[in-house]
Amino acid sequence: MSSYLSLKGINKSYGDFVALDDVNLEIKKGEFVTFLGPSGSGKTTTLMIIAGFEKATRGEVEIEGLSLAGLDPQDRNIGIVFQNYALFPHKSAVENVYFPLQMRKVKRKEGMRRAEEMLELVGLKGFSHRHPKELSGGQQQRVALARALVFGPDLLLLDEPLGALDKNLREQMQIEIKRIQKKLGVTTIFVTHDQTEAMSMSDRIVIFSQGSIQQADAPLEIYHRPKTQFVADFIGESNLLAGKVVDAASGILSSPVLGDCTYSGDHQPAVENGQDVTIVLRPENLTISRDPIEGRMNGRMKIETIVNYGDNALVIGLSGGVPIRVRVLGADVVILSEGDECCFSWDEDAIFLVAE
Amino acid sequence: MNTLMRVIAYAVIIFIAAPLVIVVPMSLSTASSLQFPPPGYWLGYYASYFSDPGWLRPTWNSIVIASATTVLTMILVVPAAFALVRHKFWGKGVANLMLMMPMAVPHIVMAVGYYSVFGQMRLVHTHLGVILAHTCLSVPITFLVLSANLKGFDRTLERAARSLGASPLQTFGHVTLPILRPGLLISALFAFIQSFDETVVAIFISGRDAETLPRKMFDSIRQEADPVIAVISSLLFLIVAIALIAPHVVSALRGRFTTKGQEKALIAQ
Ligand SMILES: Nc1ncnc2c1ncn2[C@@H]1O[C@H](COP(=O)(O)OP(=O)(O)O)[C@@H](O)[C@H]1O
Ligand SMILES: [Mg+2]
Repeated sequence: MSSYLSLKGINKSYGDFVALDDVNLEIKKGEFVTFLGPSGSGKTTTLMIIAGFEKATRGEVEIEGLSLAGLDPQDRNIGIVFQNYALFPHKSAVENVYFPLQMRKVKRKEGMRRAEEMLELVGLKGFSHRHPKELSGGQQQRVALARALVFGPDLLLLDEPLGALDKNLREQMQIEIKRIQKKLGVTTIFVTHDQTEAMSMSDRIVIFSQGSIQQADAPLEIYHRPKTQFVADFIGESNLLAGKVVDAASGILSSPVLGDCTYSGDHQPAVENGQDVTIVLRPENLTISRDPIEGRMNGRMKIETIVNYGDNALVIGLSGGVPIRVRVLGADVVILSEGDECCFSWDEDAIFLVAE
Repeated sequence: MNTLMRVIAYAVIIFIAAPLVIVVPMSLSTASSLQFPPPGYWLGYYASYFSDPGWLRPTWNSIVIASATTVLTMILVVPAAFALVRHKFWGKGVANLMLMMPMAVPHIVMAVGYYSVFGQMRLVHTHLGVILAHTCLSVPITFLVLSANLKGFDRTLERAARSLGASPLQTFGHVTLPILRPGLLISALFAFIQSFDETVVAIFISGRDAETLPRKMFDSIRQEADPVIAVISSLLFLIVAIALIAPHVVSALRGRFTTKGQEKALIAQ
């Protein structure tokens, strides 16, 4: 399928400060894409350039091959949900939702009917005449969503919309937003700094760091095959270990901590013999045992800390002076204690290389 | 500590209320000049206020001058407040200072200045002269009130409106203006009161033709201590009291109606 929204070589500078550095991205029609990255990495700036509130220093935003450059924000037909909701305090819920239709010269009667329908879709039937201050945070969020969707936008942008909600409400709203987005099929960009949120909601995750895109891939792809050290470190927990490729053809590497070991060749980045690489080992792919396990690769470590989470625990040990983190099931942790010497082992397909 | 605070609070209240306690009875007094306590009570001075053109004309002058001052002040201050709160530009600090200047300079100094400059421009003893001078004096307080309101205004609301299809003008009309309306009304009220209350400059430049109410009262108290002054003070007090109480009454009534309306809406489902 061809791309619907294209960001082509976008740069944005504030004086000497480069906020966005050559951002390129293709988004398909109906796709749910999440921008994920630490605060200050340029996510909001990118959204504001798409929406037309900021001007790119260089580069183009295109929808279906047509540049948006000449269009003012009000002519772009893009729905936005802001972090603080930005509901109009002097208008009731239904009047807020009617507003974009009013601006599009829809007759009041017809427009109010459509606004009511949209409020019903977001689960706010019966609240239409309340003013924003008479609604809870979650309800305000729903009104903001209804208002951004009622006019059939070509694109829906959400900038950390769930940031202000507590955990239960957040999870509920994640499911709701996903349900509504699927139902309407609207192409969506969702900004967050919460990776579980990104993992659970997205068709594709775009990782931002310091104004540039590190990787844009499906959630599991990002998790299991990080392209850069930043992504490997930022997504989930990982052990990042230095290593050197010994034989790229048959998948052999050597590492000060892991020793010589083999890795499976599937889906690894292109590497050459003798190249320095970062080895990514996820804590949940490591197993702890007293003695080396036959058929797996093994290392030795001394347990320093055990952090219990109830159903699972994080064991942090030292191996050759380098910390190794292992995730174990709650039941297994009782046999371990701090200060023990033990083995940790992994399969050859648990290893992933980052070439950078 | 608590009792001390209470004593101070009562002292302040008495200090503020005392003039009222004296003025209202005096306005109803039968005495031929200002006198307390009054020897007897009647409404005669109220009747003479409302029938004497010597009092009604300055009252009308004051209303006209204060209204025009309010309009002119708002025309100047609204764009100035938007520019100074929302934009960065060269000379912003100086502009801010200039706007505040009339507040720092004593009125008597301003009055002498207006007297000589407006004299040359033939604006002394004219409505226009007083309006221009009062506008200058109202700008600082009006600007202060409005810019405080504007600073508290969340600009993402305007972005939201734009993204929903409103042009900059529509955004101003549908979002910015309605939300800022209370602030605009209050700052306009400050401009009106500043002008209506102003005496020093009015004494210097309003003359016979543009004579304002405070000036007339001042002249009257100097010459004959006419009890009509007490009548006017009482009436002004009454107007202010009504203005202060009215919004509460209105919002209380409105609150009752809307809650009733909402209940109906909920029951209807
Ligand atoms: N108007 C501005 N002037 C100067 N720097 C800005 C401006 N807006 C954003 N920035 C900078 O650009 C960077 C990216 O900001 P932003 O896109 O808001 O990050 P994010 O949304 O990922 O947290 C930040 O370092 C921020 O300080
Ligand atoms: Mg942001």
